[in-house]
Formats: sequence, C-alpha cells, structure tokens
Amino acid sequence: MPPSLPDFSNSVKLKYVKLGYQYLVNHILTLTLLPIMAAIFVEVLRMGPEEILNLWRSLQFDVVQILCCSFLIIFIATFYFMSKPRSIFLVDYACFKPPLTCRVPFATFMEHSRLILKDKPKSVEFQMRILERSGLGEETCLPPAIHYIPPTPNMEAARGEAELVIFSAMDSLFEKTGLKPKDIDILIVNCSLFSPTPSLSAMVINKYKLRSNTKSFNLSGMGCSAGLISIDLARDLLQVHPNSNAVIVSTEIITPNYYQGNERAMLLPNCLFRMGGAAILLTNRRSERRQAKYRLVHVVRTHKGADDKAYRCVFEEEDKEGNVGISLSKDLMAIAGEALKSNITTIGPLVLPASEQLLFLLTLIGRKIFNPKWKPYIPDFRQAFEHFCIHAGGRAVIDELQKNLQLSAEHVEASRMTLHRFGNTSSSSLWYELSYIEAKGRMKKGDRVWQIAFGSGFKCNSAVWKCNRTIKTAIDGQGPWADCIDRYPVHIPEVVKL
Amino acid sequence: MELLVLLYALSTLYFLLMVWKWVGAKRDQECYILDYECYKPTDDRMLGTKFCGEIITRTKNLGLLECRFLLRAIVSAGLGEQTYAPRIMFSGREDNPTLLDGISEMEEFFEDCIANLLSRSGISPSEIDVLVVNVAMLSSVPSLSARIINQYKMRDDIKVFNLTAMGCSASLISVDIVKNLFKSYKNLFALVVTSESLSPNWYSGNDRSMILTNCLFRSGGSAILLTNKRAMSNRAMFRLKCLVRTHHGARDESYGCCMQKEDEQGRVGINLGKTLPKAATRALADNLRQISPKILPMRELVRFMVVNLARKMNGSSSEKTTGAPKTKVNFKTGVDHFCVHTGGKAVIDGIGTSLNLSEYDVEPARMTLHRFGNTSASSIWYVLGYMEAKKRLKKGDKVFMVSFGAGFKCNSSLWEVMRDMGDGNVWKDCIDRYPVKTSDNPFMEKYGWINQEMDLDPSTFKLVPDYI
Repeated sequence: MPPSLPDFSNSVKLKYVKLGYQYLVNHILTLTLLPIMAAIFVEVLRMGPEEILNLWRSLQFDVVQILCCSFLIIFIATFYFMSKPRSIFLVDYACFKPPLTCRVPFATFMEHSRLILKDKPKSVEFQMRILERSGLGEETCLPPAIHYIPPTPNMEAARGEAELVIFSAMDSLFEKTGLKPKDIDILIVNCSLFSPTPSLSAMVINKYKLRSNTKSFNLSGMGCSAGLISIDLARDLLQVHPNSNAVIVSTEIITPNYYQGNERAMLLPNCLFRMGGAAILLTNRRSERRQAKYRLVHVVRTHKGADDKAYRCVFEEEDKEGNVGISLSKDLMAIAGEALKSNITTIGPLVLPASEQLLFLLTLIGRKIFNPKWKPYIPDFRQAFEHFCIHAGGRAVIDELQKNLQLSAEHVEASRMTLHRFGNTSSSSLWYELSYIEAKGRMKKGDRVWQIAFGSGFKCNSAVWKCNRTIKTAIDGQGPWADCIDRYPVHIPEVVKL
Repeated sequence: MELLVLLYALSTLYFLLMVWKWVGAKRDQECYILDYECYKPTDDRMLGTKFCGEIITRTKNLGLLECRFLLRAIVSAGLGEQTYAPRIMFSGREDNPTLLDGISEMEEFFEDCIANLLSRSGISPSEIDVLVVNVAMLSSVPSLSARIINQYKMRDDIKVFNLTAMGCSASLISVDIVKNLFKSYKNLFALVVTSESLSPNWYSGNDRSMILTNCLFRSGGSAILLTNKRAMSNRAMFRLKCLVRTHHGARDESYGCCMQKEDEQGRVGINLGKTLPKAATRALADNLRQISPKILPMRELVRFMVVNLARKMNGSSSEKTTGAPKTKVNFKTGVDHFCVHTGGKAVIDGIGTSLNLSEYDVEPARMTLHRFGNTSASSIWYVLGYMEAKKRLKKGDKVFMVSFGAGFKCNSSLWEVMRDMGDGNVWKDCIDRYPVKTSDNPFMEKYGWINQEMDLDPSTFKLVPDYI
C-alpha cells in the first residue's frame, strides 16, 4: 500500500500568526487613513448641503495652490505606479511535436528490450510490468539514436536530438508570436543531463543569430522542475530590465542518458522518459498586454535537499558494471508529499480566498483551545484554481496528488492524458498539459492555473498563472494536440495486458 | 481651512516618505562581496615536471608528433611545478573515469572551500538565501547545487541555480544573476561557487587541437559570498560598479572555435579551432566598447573622441592608409588593477596588448598561471587573491575583471575596493617567492631540447623516458 501524504502540522500555525502581524504592520498607513476618511465623511453628512455650498463659496482658490496640489497628486500617483512590481506576461508558448518516425509503441519497446537484455529475462519482465502499469500510450517518442539496436548514444546524436527538439520548438514559437530573434533580450535554456560545450544556449544564439548583448543562461541538473526554476529566474530578471522579452527553452535530451545496464531501479526511467521540449515567451512590455495568454502571479520554490533521504531519492550513479543511470528510491512518494506540504504552506496564504484561510485559522484555533481531536482542515484548493497542471512524472505521482488535494478526475485529466500521449517529458510536460487544456477549449479569461513540478534534489516548485484572454481552440492545426485532441480523453486501464 | 492644511501636510509627508523609501531601496540594491575563498588542493596533487613526463609516456595513443607537440605546449605554457591535478591522474585511471571520480573531486572542493568561507565570515549556511553554482563540464542528478544544500543543510526556500557549460567566464555570469536578484529582493546573502571538473574530461585521443586542453587546465575553484545588506557595507571587500556581457554566438566562426565533439575514434574532447584568437579579440573589442563609457572618466572619453576625430579628419584629407597606429583608450585612467583570465600565455599577452598594459599590470595574471595554471572560471579570483596578498589593493581602487568563454563570450566587470586589504589567503605560503621570471621554468630546463629538434626520425629519436 503506498504511504499516504502526511497531514498538515504545526508549522502552518506560525505562518498565519506571522501573516496577520505582517498585514497589520505593512498596511498601517492605509489603516490610519481609513478612520480619517470616515471622520471626514461623517462631518460632511452632518453639515448638510447649504453649509457645504457656503464652504465652497468661501474658499479662495489661488492658482498657485491649485497647481501645487495637482502636481503633488500627479507625483504621488506616478511614484505609486512605478513602485509596483512589473507584471510578467506569457505571450505564448510552443511545444515540440515529435515526428511519427520516432514513435515507440509497446511492441517496439518490448522487442528492443528483449534483444538488448537477452541474458536477463527478469529485467525484461520487470520492464514489461512497469510499462503495463505506467499509464503511457502507444504514441510516445524516443530520439532516433535510441531506436538502434544497441542504441548509439554518441555526442553527435545527442546534439542532433537537441537541435531537432529545440529548433522545432523555437521555430514554432516564432511563428505563433511573430517574434523576431533580434528582439530577444533574455534566453534561458534548461536541460538536466546534457550540457555540451559550448552550451545549448550558445547553440540557440548561433542558430538564430541573437544579439551580442542577449543575457543567456544555461541551467542544468535541476531535474523535472527546472522549467519553473527558469520561469523564476526570468521573472527576477524581467523585474530589473524594463521593456524586455525573455525566451525559455525547457527540454530533456534523452540520447546520452539511456541506461544500458540491467539494474532494476535504474531501468525505470527508461520506461517513462520520452522526447519532448517547449519554448516559452515571457515579456514585461505593456504593449503585449492584449495578446498575452497568461499573467504570472506567483512562483514558489521549495528545496528539501537538507534532508538526506530527500536528497538521495533520485540519484545518478553507476551500477556494478559501470553503466550510468538514475536510480529512484522506494520512498519517492512520501518525500514528494513532504515537499508538496512545504510548498503548499507557502503558497496557500498567497492564493487561497479569505474564506478558506479563515476556516483554516478557526479550525486551528479550535484544535488548540477547544478540542485537539478535531480533524485538521485541509484547504480546498479547488476554490483557488480552475485548472491544475501536475507534472506527469508517472501514474503514481498523479494518483497521490489527486487523492491528497481532493481533485476530481477532470482536474487531473490534462496530466493523465499528457502522460498517455507524450510520456514523461520532464520539465516540458507542464506545457503539454496546458496545451491540452487550451485545445479542449476549457481556458477562459480569468481562470487561474496551478503548475506543480517535482525534481531531483528534492524540489517542489509551483507557478500560478492567470488567464488573460479566452483562448479559442486551434482551428489551423497548430499545437501538439491538434491531430489527436478529439480522441481524448481516453480511459487508461490500470494494467494494459502486453 | 485647517482641514485643507491638514490634507496638504499629510499628502506632503506621504510623498516625502515615498521618496525616502525609493532612495533607500536604491541603496539596498548594491552588490557587495563580503568575502571570497580560493581553493588550494592538498600537496599530494601537485603536478611536477617529472610526473608530466610520466603521464605523456603512459598515454598509449600519443604518437611521436603528438608527444613533441605536447612537450612544446608544456614548455611554453608558462605553468610552474606547483599546479594541481585531479586525483584520477595519480592513480593512472584518467582513460576510464567513473561518475564518482568527478563528483568526489567536486565534493572535496565543496567541503574545504565553502566551510572555510562561511566560518571565516561568521555566516551560517542557513542564512544563505541564494546559491549559484557553476561547474562547466559536469552535470549530474541531483545537481551539484543540491549536493551543497544537502551537505550544509541550507533552508528549503533557498533560490538555487546550477549553471553548466558556460565556459571560463561563468563566474561573472553567476555574479550577474546575483546582481539582478539583489535589485528585486532586500537583505539577501548569496553564495557563488565556481569550479571545474577535470576528472571526466581528460582527452585520451591524439587529435592535436583537442589535447591542448589536457596541458592547460588545472584543478581549482572558489567560493564568493555576496550581500546587498546595507548594514554589512562596512565589512564588505568590494562593491560591484558594473558588469557587461557580450555574446558572439551569432557568428559561426566564434561559435565553432571552441567546441566539444568526438574525434575520428569517437573520443570526446574540446576542439580549439584556429579562429580562436581572432574570435577572442573581436569579442573583447566589442565588450570594451560597451563597458568603457561606464568605467572611464569623462576626460578620457572626451580625449579619445577628440583625438579620433582629428585623426579621421587628417586621414581623409591626406588619404593616408593604415600607416599611423590607432589611438588606444588609456584604461589606466579609470582602472587601477586588472584581473585577466589566465587562459594561457597567449591570452594574457593578447589582452595586455589590447589594453596597453605594463608588466606590472599583467604580473598577477602571469603569476597565477604559473602557480595554479588555468583553473577555468575561478582563475580571476586567484588573480584577485594575488593582488590582495601583495597588498596592492587600497580603498577606493578600481579592479577590472575580464574573462572569456566558449560560445564565444566575453564578460567583464568593474569592482570598487571598499577597504585596504592585505590578507595572504590562498597565496599565503608562497607569495614571498613571487614574482618569478616565467621564461626560465623547470619544464623548459627538462624538455627545452624539444624546441631545437628540427627533424624527427623515429629510428634515431630517443624515447622520452631517457631524459626524465
């Protein structure tokens, strides 16, 4: 039986006390101005209309006074608007659609497996059992080098896959947004396990001839949550640089990392990880407000690396024969739950409506003062969000999160269908899921989306987006779901008999 | 009327409060270096001349010509006998590195350097808000930044970034990230950890353009503690004045001059192309063009413009070709010390000529190359350490850092020295021997004969072991 997520503990209480205190102190000016305004209002009511007219006539309006007053108001208004943090908009994004020739149906995968691991039938059977219960479909894709028997993962093939994925996604992004390469100010590329010299960001700059003062960053090793880390970095950079565009490329290059040994814990990623990538355009330009699809509201990052168990649960190491692979530990779910809990305690106060927060506070007080046996109140996140994008890490992850956040099947449909159609594409899976929701025509103006991703280390990152305009379904065949959205949702059985 | 006066008073006060907050916010956005520490590996990792020869002979794939090429490179490289190599070289396994070799090399560095830095500055690991790690040639799962967080038990809301593959200029890119974060958030401590992982990247083939990296790169690393807290400004060592990044990846020849690829036998190595010097000069020129207006005083800029204009007018009237030397900007008017990336003797010479530097100015870089070799991204911090140990840094001085990276990038920054410094740091035990003349080095004594060998007849050529 899988271990369930731990309940909310006392760490949340302190956060709420702090919140109340911070609110009081931060808004002290507003809170003192309010009684003054109330007093003026009462005074005005008391005086009556004739007295007000008399007061009005008795006022001598000096031109200088009026000018000073109006300048003061204008200055204050300008300072107020300038001191607000800039809004970050997501103009559009493009997901890589793998070519048909790279498809890996179950039969192909098992045949490969049998040929490569011919002296280890137990490992083959293990892979078959994983595949049966994985929730993947027949249309997921692996890069061309992995289709060889045995696979040929050399550097040239890895670069080839990187070029295929990244350049297609970027070409698609340029087409969708009308962006010119010369207008890109910030470029962030994240790919966990492949970092050639010069970096993938330099490869993008070379191919599209970006400007020489483009700020480029190449993040790696940060796991499946790296996409949201890139968004966090882009947001911080866009706060400092006005009128800028930032392009983020999230991908995972599989060619060099296909495990070639036969250690079971390390064969698991082979069954789940598939080829995919996404390119996202963020901006802080006010002129893009109308066309932008989403506005970034919050990004919350939680890192559980200080805890040894969390740190070791997704680990790259060598097996006895020297093959490098990623081993996943058995308590992955429990650790994911812990990380999620930390993340929720930070993001909860930011997104939950006052009603939920009040209920939570009251239950907390009740438990402390009246009866400790009261069940802790788990806030209903469905009140805060209309759509959920849960990283399609695997079926178990989606099941656990669905149970513990009390989500309905429709909420997690995007995640399940992405896992089925594209497999676990690591950091870009969140964008395939968002694309699914849009393709189904469910995204309306004002909807809030919560993207949750887990990563090695162990990290849990969330991003909250607010939809800026109702998004019509793609009629011109664009997007990765264009040719198959009508077949979805499909029912994914518990076990697919192979 | 009292009401009106009250209204005026309140709004003026509020306005003044906002102005004061805005000014205060600007002062909270400065980027200070509180402390930095360069890594000194243990003495059993020193690479002397005898051992270099042994490595060359035991490398089976090297033919005669390659041996000669390597020896020539070592002789003229400007490295001394005390540079450090990764442990894998001493156990003879450089052809078959395991994942653990690379990681343990990094962990040895993390345990030593970061612990020293944090204890010396009195900051506990849980106070660190931002962590940026850049190690160009190793990317593992979990990332090296996660390893540091695990080892030092840092907080769970830390902002962490792990950069790779950004070459020898990556430490300035990390500082760029920190600088931008300091502008948005207040009261942060940031830790930048920079190093290079050599164990998994030994080139075991015989392509000449790829074996050069084997000769030059050495183990090293540094950790830098930065903050934007105003209260810490009196303890700070340096203040960042400006940072400029230039990326020439759009040009194919710049992009292709330093590329990691497989040779004909399928061995991975970094290919240094022939267009490298030209790409470097071009990137440097572009970078200097952008940063000079920010760092040079007005009178120097005006003088340069006037002289250039006069020359142009003279040149166009008398149709002189490029006979007269181009006027150069005098960087010494705005900069007191130069931290040049120790990419190699040619790089230091090249930058020295471009910036019109004297021997005194490039001495720190040359001595760092001699003592520590090319430690990639952390080299500029060793150069800074030399200047500090030689007591050259006085309050108010300006230090200019410039480094190159694959892609092709050129990054530079200007720091202001906040207080007089004279700590020996990583140069403590050898600073008194410096400066040395790099022209007579032990490699030259042992292998200098190679420069005179004109014809190479395999039958008469005595193998290297006889000369060790």
